Amino acid sequence: MTVESEAVLRPLPLGDEVSEAFWDAAKAGRLDIQRCRACRRWNHAPSLACPTCGSEDLGYETVSGKGSLFTWCVLKEAPAPGFRDMLPLIVAIVELAEQPHLLLSTNIVGAREEELRLGMPLEVTFERVTEDCALPQFRPAREAA
Amino acid sequence: MRAFRDRIAVAGIGYSPLTRRPERSLASLAAEAVDAALADAGLDRRALDGLATSPSMPRYGGAKGTVEGIDVVTPWALGERLGIHTHTRWTGSTNGMVTQAFMEAAMAIASGVCSHVVVYRALHVPPGSYINYENRYSVGPEQWLAPFGFSGPPSWAASVVKRYFEMFGYSRADLARYIVDNRANTCRNPNGFWRGKPLAADDYLNARMIADPMSILDCDIPVDGCAALLLTSTERARDLKRKPALLTGFSAGTHSPPTGVPMTLDDIWIGCEQVAARLWEATGLGPSDFDTAQLYDGFAPFVYLWLEGLGIVPRGEGLAFLRDGHGSLGGKLPVNTGGGALGEGRLHGMTQLAEAVIQVTDRGGERQVPGARRAIATISNGLTKATAFAISRDEGQ
Repeated sequence: MTVESEAVLRPLPLGDEVSEAFWDAAKAGRLDIQRCRACRRWNHAPSLACPTCGSEDLGYETVSGKGSLFTWCVLKEAPAPGFRDMLPLIVAIVELAEQPHLLLSTNIVGAREEELRLGMPLEVTFERVTEDCALPQFRPAREAA
Repeated sequence: MRAFRDRIAVAGIGYSPLTRRPERSLASLAAEAVDAALADAGLDRRALDGLATSPSMPRYGGAKGTVEGIDVVTPWALGERLGIHTHTRWTGSTNGMVTQAFMEAAMAIASGVCSHVVVYRALHVPPGSYINYENRYSVGPEQWLAPFGFSGPPSWAASVVKRYFEMFGYSRADLARYIVDNRANTCRNPNGFWRGKPLAADDYLNARMIADPMSILDCDIPVDGCAALLLTSTERARDLKRKPALLTGFSAGTHSPPTGVPMTLDDIWIGCEQVAARLWEATGLGPSDFDTAQLYDGFAPFVYLWLEGLGIVPRGEGLAFLRDGHGSLGGKLPVNTGGGALGEGRLHGMTQLAEAVIQVTDRGGERQVPGARRAIATISNGLTKATAFAISRDEGQ
């Protein structure tokens, strides 16, 4: 085994029947969000039934990847061994452009802490963590959302 | 709901020592607290016919054990240990907060199932760090949080505080007054973990930062120990040793945040307002009817969010209320007069309930709010499992 393969990684998401389409899409470089086919509301985190209308007729659709910064915090201590070399780590909640209060937990990359502003436009980018896993991350939008 | 009003009373308070790394078992500490609550009321174990708690471990914290008597103390095991299982009529054990067990206990008495119920919270601090997500994979709700480093409650609270600060132009300096006052209150509380350890504003501003803007001093202090409250009917309580505190009403919240995030400022406001509206409906009281407020402080920001959710001040003004000293002893509405969970110790709302009882029965000593007639206690963060209680002085008979 190489040293690299023994490196401690951040915790990896393990998808389930409801969520695996999200993680599969991320691996392919797409941000796919669950959407109710009955009432057309977007839904994240995905669930078995639509929290708005109760329909079980749900699917995934690709979203724009645009959003705005809803809030954030800056971790000064590693929340897991795999984050030790990433401090300070910006943890953020992003409001996706598709629907008010459609919120996603993520990290901000490509911006310093002091540049962050509530509501600033962001866009998705994908960080490949392993061969089988990519995490959606957000960076300042390159053009106005 | 108003049929409940003032019919149930808290007749006794009991504490074990609240310490870190005690040599005694949690079961032993729980038994001590229950016996103390009974003795406070002038009763013994033979009178007890109900026990209620939420026996869960904190979700994050070192080794997440479930060993009976060491990590948790369920009412079934405690009943055996106390030797009361032969005459126990009811045990309550919720998966929510212990204060929901308190509501169930009140209903057990109101319905006639039980005469005397002890509600207790026994809590163990396992070894290890709280920031210790060591699993290789995250599943279920954690898959949306842990890969991003969002696995610890202090960072969840930090995300709420940051939005609040940004919206209203506050900074950590605005909370320093409250933190210092709260520690001073703790120093007047014989049960307080941090008694004898006053704080200065600079101590707060220079505290170790965990998830900016949340420092170690914005988090409650985890302790090993137990607090217990003895509930009975108001009629019965009037024959006991202590002056009772009356349960005027209670309410619980059912508002959940979006599931992809742990909690948001906006949802906490909505949830607190829901809990408050239900309490006013249950009691006929309103936000200006209280002489003191015991507001949940598992994390310090919940204190000012409750002030806002209860309608004591408008949204965005809770922190200014504390900054300007209105929550101090002698202020408009003394808040967390016993030091809360930040100072007295993490007991998941029992500190708030016990202090409400203490204040309306004139047992506060140096920290007594003179002549306090009504106290409000709120528990959790306003979202699902949050509760609120109106506790009143007994002026009847």
